[in-house]
Amino acid sequence: MHIPDGYLSPATCAVGYVVAVPIAAVAAQRVKNVVKTRQVPTLAMLSAVSFLVMMFNIPIPDGTTAHAVGGVLIAVLLGPWAALIAVTVALAFQALLFGDGGVLAFGVNVFNMGVVLPFVAYGIYRLLARGSVLTSWRRVVAAAIGGYVGLNAAAICVGIELGIQPDLFHDASGTPLYSPYHLSQTLPAMLLAHLLIAGFAEAALAGGVVAYLQQANIPLLQVNNPGVPVDAADTVAPKPNLRPVAVALSVMAVLVLLTPLGLLAPGGAFGEDSPEDLDLGDLGLDTVPTGLAKYAGFWNHTLLGDYGFSNGSHPNIGYLVSAVVGIVVVGAAVYLIAFSLRALGLRGSIDNRTEPARSSADTGS
Amino acid sequence: MTTTASTDPRPASAPDWLLTRDVTLCPCGCIGKRRKGSYLEKTLTGGADLLRQVMFSDDTAAQHGLLQRIDARVKIVTLFGLLLVGAFLHTIAALMVLYAATLVLAACSAVPVGFFVKRVWLFVPIFTGIVLIPATLSVVTDGEVIVTLWHWHGRAEGITRQGLMSALLVVARVASSISSVVLLTLTTPWTRLLASLRTLGVPRVFILIIGMAYRYLFLLLATITDMYQARKARTVGAEKHDKYARRFVFATAGAMIGKSMAMSEEVHQAMVARGYRGDAKVLAQPRPSRIDLLYALAVAVSGAALLVGEHVITR
Repeated sequence: MHIPDGYLSPATCAVGYVVAVPIAAVAAQRVKNVVKTRQVPTLAMLSAVSFLVMMFNIPIPDGTTAHAVGGVLIAVLLGPWAALIAVTVALAFQALLFGDGGVLAFGVNVFNMGVVLPFVAYGIYRLLARGSVLTSWRRVVAAAIGGYVGLNAAAICVGIELGIQPDLFHDASGTPLYSPYHLSQTLPAMLLAHLLIAGFAEAALAGGVVAYLQQANIPLLQVNNPGVPVDAADTVAPKPNLRPVAVALSVMAVLVLLTPLGLLAPGGAFGEDSPEDLDLGDLGLDTVPTGLAKYAGFWNHTLLGDYGFSNGSHPNIGYLVSAVVGIVVVGAAVYLIAFSLRALGLRGSIDNRTEPARSSADTGS
Repeated sequence: MTTTASTDPRPASAPDWLLTRDVTLCPCGCIGKRRKGSYLEKTLTGGADLLRQVMFSDDTAAQHGLLQRIDARVKIVTLFGLLLVGAFLHTIAALMVLYAATLVLAACSAVPVGFFVKRVWLFVPIFTGIVLIPATLSVVTDGEVIVTLWHWHGRAEGITRQGLMSALLVVARVASSISSVVLLTLTTPWTRLLASLRTLGVPRVFILIIGMAYRYLFLLLATITDMYQARKARTVGAEKHDKYARRFVFATAGAMIGKSMAMSEEVHQAMVARGYRGDAKVLAQPRPSRIDLLYALAVAVSGAALLVGEHVITR
């Protein structure tokens, strides 16, 4: 999953830095506000842990072993922002000291393993573990599923980053200048390896460690879950807490990530532009069905026809402008729906975030 | 296994076979060679391997060579420059010139060239070559077929010129990039490298975190290897890869995180007791000398000449 230098174009690496640097800056600020002077030693330890977690060989029944990345575990225990910083520092070690993962590709690697992996994993963990007590099995399963999905989400990102290279960067004779595999090859290759082996290793480590801590070190589980009851003795079932802004932003983030695929996808949607585009012979038809022909031009009052400007200039920029407009409109619509649902009586308890209560954990090895 | 004093031109007394690693794409181990073997052995070997690499780098950084005399800030900026030049070069010949330049620099910096070549190529380029073999075929990269391997509906299929060129390009670029990075690591003490990150605009607080993380990395590594050694000492016969083994791995990982959190609390209190108020201080560095500026200028001119030369020849 570490992309070395040489596989990605300078433009892709630059985009990686442009995306990763501001997110890392926000993470540093957030962590600073929460833990004040504690941040440096805590984050230093976590970075060391993040690096070392990769050294744990998880035994597989066939006699081999697998590794986990570890970002998921830190995200589940201490939140995704702390995980982001820890993974970033660990990646810096690997790139500079051991040549694992590129220096130019550092921004891209941070985005995949420090942003996508912990945030997706943490989101799923929070979603599945919501309302459960600290020692419930649901938290173990939630951490495992979060780890599995988070790692595969990161693998999809790696597949996309590598797969767009040959279409965007090639010379006049068609020779790909960087990674030569197309999306149709990189995505299955990345997903096969991660869906079958690495995903399970990440899931096992995240779930297994949470299960161990439930028995051995409850205070560590409480660091990022202040106020959550330890067992079922005195729980009050929490009401669902719907946050319209968060829901809308999540939907928009997914759409932004998927936007570039539209520029690269071959062919068009099934007869979307006009019924004449359909290969009627393959469908066993001679002519366009009358009903389809009748309603084909039913709606032609559009602002950005054919996802571009009306005069057909700058098709890619037109496509991106259409995408931005579309994403904002979808985001606004999702926000309104979520807002209406909340107004209809699904209002949950307000999340009163307090400073995490820390305690020196008493651990036995 | 002891290391030799820095007067010996050979950097370390550890034999080469101890200092090389398995051919893998990346430390996640998600893809790459999967060897059978005990999980305890592998973790212990991995830990020892990590320490060995760090000690070897420290040894070579203490030698008296060309790059060891250059200011770390200048080296890190020129490394970025070399990597960018490598990324913009589009011919195999130009990339090989760049790779040859890194070999010359290694030879001038008291790094054994044979070892340097082996270390760089065993990291990623060989694996990259294996991964890119299918990309040379017409089913992946369209183009002019130069070696026909089979026919599909009367059309020749096989290795295309474009596919072969592309694969060689990527391997050459990966090799020259990793060569540049390894060269920086082998000739720069880690503390200097860290302080020089300030020149790239890395915030002080990040540098402090990286420095402390590096220090506690080895402490926590010792904790892990102790736990694994203890387990190994108490295991009679071959280790089984069963649920108890997995449970042990999760418990050691959980215990390590617990220990690290407890330790960070103690370290924090010790820092505050000694006057730490949240402001990070990093090593002050002297101004770059004339030789540093000359080296930077030489790298800049060579890189620009390579880019311009390639452009003129291929036009």
